[in-house]
Amino acid sequence: MDKLLELDGISLTYHSKKSETLALNDLNISINSGEFVAIVGPSGCGKTTILSIICGLIKPTTGNVIVAGEKVTKPSPKVGYMFQRDNLFEWLTISKNTLLGLEIIKKKNPKTKAYVKELLEKYGLKEFSTHYPTELSGGMRQRVALIRTLASSPEILLLDEPFSALDYQTRLVVQDDISSIIKSEKKTAILVTHDISEAIAMSDRIMVLSSRPGKVKKIINLDFDKSLSPFERRKLPKFNEYFDLVWRELS
Amino acid sequence: MKKIYSLDHKKYLRKQLFNTVLIHFLRILLLVLLLGLWEYVAWSGLVDPFITSSPSRIFNTLVTLFSGGSIWSDIGITLYETMLAFVISTILGGFIAICLYMCLPLKRILEPYLVILNSLPKVALGPLIIIWFGVGTKAIVAMGILICIVITTISMLNGFCAVEEEKIMLLKSMGANKLQILFKLVLPASLPNFIAVLKINVGMAWVGVIMGEYLSSGAGLGYLLVYNGQVFNLDMVMTTIVILCVLAGIMYGLIAILEYCVNKKRNK
Ligand SMILES: Nc1ncnc2c1ncn2[C@@H]1O[C@H](COP(=O)(O)OP(=O)(O)O)[C@@H](O)[C@H]1O
Ligand SMILES: [Mg+2]
Repeated sequence: MDKLLELDGISLTYHSKKSETLALNDLNISINSGEFVAIVGPSGCGKTTILSIICGLIKPTTGNVIVAGEKVTKPSPKVGYMFQRDNLFEWLTISKNTLLGLEIIKKKNPKTKAYVKELLEKYGLKEFSTHYPTELSGGMRQRVALIRTLASSPEILLLDEPFSALDYQTRLVVQDDISSIIKSEKKTAILVTHDISEAIAMSDRIMVLSSRPGKVKKIINLDFDKSLSPFERRKLPKFNEYFDLVWRELS
Repeated sequence: MKKIYSLDHKKYLRKQLFNTVLIHFLRILLLVLLLGLWEYVAWSGLVDPFITSSPSRIFNTLVTLFSGGSIWSDIGITLYETMLAFVISTILGGFIAICLYMCLPLKRILEPYLVILNSLPKVALGPLIIIWFGVGTKAIVAMGILICIVITTISMLNGFCAVEEEKIMLLKSMGANKLQILFKLVLPASLPNFIAVLKINVGMAWVGVIMGEYLSSGAGLGYLLVYNGQVFNLDMVMTTIVILCVLAGIMYGLIAILEYCVNKKRNK
């Protein structure tokens, strides 16, 4: 498998008037094309910072980020970032919301529009495309947010605790939804979370981070049948074994 | 699609309707009572109608005024000045707010000046305005703009700065530049705030223009107020106030309608 993303000796220091914070110190991560990697770690260990660096929103103090062979210096359509909250624009219809990224990079044309329309159709949002975000449930809104991210055909998806704003029931359903969308679109994804079971249910590989400054403490390869959904994984005995393993690493 | 409601719900709806009607009724009743009381004390001689005027005198004055016709030109002048002050200060204030937002260092530099300008009683600048712009329409509109523009700028800027940081990050992660962030996010997100600013501005523009007319003019409703106050024609003073109330109410109403349309379009 070919390497799609590489973080090479990344460290980052935040400066503020009162103090300086070493958020990441000499972080090395490498991710292959098509992988679904989960990054778990205690809150404040620098997970969001890692994603912001991969996306090119902040520059690392030292080190390089390479995506598909190119050094990242600023945000590019190769990387799609999905936040904790859906951040849909209330004044735009669902379909306009999903076209936002294409508009920004000036790639809105009949072909890309058709692709987005197809995504909306495929994932059960077609009849809502002229609706406004307030008319949708939390789970549907998160699905729209994912389609908005997919619209500009990124090679890597960055998901920053995308389910933490949802209630438990919805969360389980949306995890299945999002996981199947990412699988069927054959995307590489990095999921950041502090929810151990979410990481085990969704990913191929878990990176456990130490507390600040975040370093990769342990990498756990998950061995589940490819066809299982997150919900089905949760029912297997293996699931609990992995849970114990990650739990021990975290505490 | 006709919905079928339960009996309880029908009862509830009827009660709601009854409440609304009752409130409107009480509002009108209050007005009638006040006017009646006013008329009574003036008629019975408890107070001197020369000082307090009375509803019937106001009504008569209104009839004479509007059959005479010169009042229309006074209304026209004041309305024109108010609209001009309102439009110019909204556009200019909005423009300044956008500039400051796009260049935050400038905002930081100018902040203390804005605060001082905002707390300064603008009437204090009256003499200066008259010297600079001369007596007349220009000075009056300038007064109106002066009163509106600082608060417009500050309110709009605050609205821009209140846009959610995560939404800005979202656009940045898509590769948006500053202008795209402004037009795709900040301006549309600030629309409700913009309408709130318009509402405040309508009131402020009236204050500014009437004040301007007090200071320097030979026509307009503000002029009528000062002139008739000086010659103790209290009937005219009261009547002019009534006309002002109606005009300000109409302008506020127009903006409320605009707000309603915008909200309807946004959240259907
Ligand atoms: N803009 C910033 N300025 C200063 N410190 C920050 C900033 N952003 C994050 N930090 C600090 O860096 C650390 C890592 O933050 P973050 O990446 O958000 O953690 P996580 O997402 O794992 O909870 C935290 O201790 C946080 O307080
Ligand atoms: Mg975080």
